[in-house]
Amino acid sequence: MRLVAEKLCRSFGPRKIFGPLSFATSPGRVLGIAGANGSGKTTLVRTLVGLIRPSSGSVWLEDESLPAGRITVRDANGSIGWCAPDLALYAELTPAENLEFFARVAGRPIPREEAERRIAEVGLDPKRLRTIRTRFLSTGQRQRVKLAYAVLGSPAVLFLDEPGSNLDEAGHRAVEEIVAAQRARGSVVLATNDPVELALADERVDL
Amino acid sequence: MILRAAAAVFVKDLRTEWRTRVALNALLLFAFSVLILVGYAVGPTRLALEDRPIVNSVLLWIVLFFSAMTGLSRAFVNEEETGTASALRLSAPPAAVFLGKLLGNLALLGVVMALVVPLFLALMSFGIAAPGLFLAILAFGAIGLASASTFIAAIVAKTAAKGALFAVLATPLLLPPLVAAVTGTRIAATEPELAAGLDAVRLLFAFDGIMITASFLLFDAVWRE
Repeated sequence: MRLVAEKLCRSFGPRKIFGPLSFATSPGRVLGIAGANGSGKTTLVRTLVGLIRPSSGSVWLEDESLPAGRITVRDANGSIGWCAPDLALYAELTPAENLEFFARVAGRPIPREEAERRIAEVGLDPKRLRTIRTRFLSTGQRQRVKLAYAVLGSPAVLFLDEPGSNLDEAGHRAVEEIVAAQRARGSVVLATNDPVELALADERVDL
Repeated sequence: MILRAAAAVFVKDLRTEWRTRVALNALLLFAFSVLILVGYAVGPTRLALEDRPIVNSVLLWIVLFFSAMTGLSRAFVNEEETGTASALRLSAPPAAVFLGKLLGNLALLGVVMALVVPLFLALMSFGIAAPGLFLAILAFGAIGLASASTFIAAIVAKTAAKGALFAVLATPLLLPPLVAAVTGTRIAATEPELAAGLDAVRLLFAFDGIMITASFLLFDAVWRE
């Protein structure tokens, strides 16, 4: 499945945030989005995942297996994964309860053991976190749970916006492992300022 | 798929509410405060016998209406304020989100009604001649209050003046069913025949049907834009 953006623009009133931008991702490849603070990386990612409507242009997912050959990102339920600084999980649920909930509402329920396995994959101890609500986790631990959420549905396109923020060395390695695993099942869109993370990208869009 | 996802949203909201009790406490605190105030100021004996059914009916629905205004808007406001709405938008079908939130609000309102209504009847010595009609009016009134509150909460959740806008939008929308609920409650207090209040039940049923159908049709645009 490929993500295609065509002449994508976003403005807030008279203030232009980005665009026009045209690019596409390919399976097995990582597309980097680079730019200084305030350059519109997060707005671009939110537009790509369908949380913000573009001012002009369009973005879609295309694949030969789809009946019409393409679908809008808004209809791509479960085909995309997203992790961003402005993503929040339910503070009153434990990490495993969060993953179980999001899997269930997406129509792909997972048992508790599977949720705990996903938590272990991002370097957290699921047994220790069994009774700890997400609100009591450190910022870095929450970031890891957000990464587990992003890859929960084995997405075709994974959007990572500043994935290494608040993470320690082991956390950065977990991000690299997630990106490597995603290459095997789809593509990655990686928005970051971090030169080490940007080095994972095969192509770049500079804002 | 939609029903299972809606059930997941409903269970998640119940679990979150059970762990924080924010909306339930706000609803109950408001309802009991008003109830005590009404009991103290009006009481069962300060009203003329012929005025009791209509005045008590109005007071009962005032308590329920403003309690709903206090707590039910949190259904979506909380999701927006804590930043969880984006993840929910990406993961769940909009219809499932609305249905789950509606069921959550109905459950919350049901708990409040189960506690407040018997207390109000006892405190005001408010006798009911047709309990079946009264229960039907309460049930359909609650569905109307919950469905309108849930939909309006989704509209105002992203705005700055949530509380003020919620009341401004909800009051005119809820006036017709409130008038029917008050009329039906008055009839239930005075007429022992169920048939006497059927018009009020029909009006409430129609409002609930229209409100829920319109909400499902419009919710996708409200939730995603």
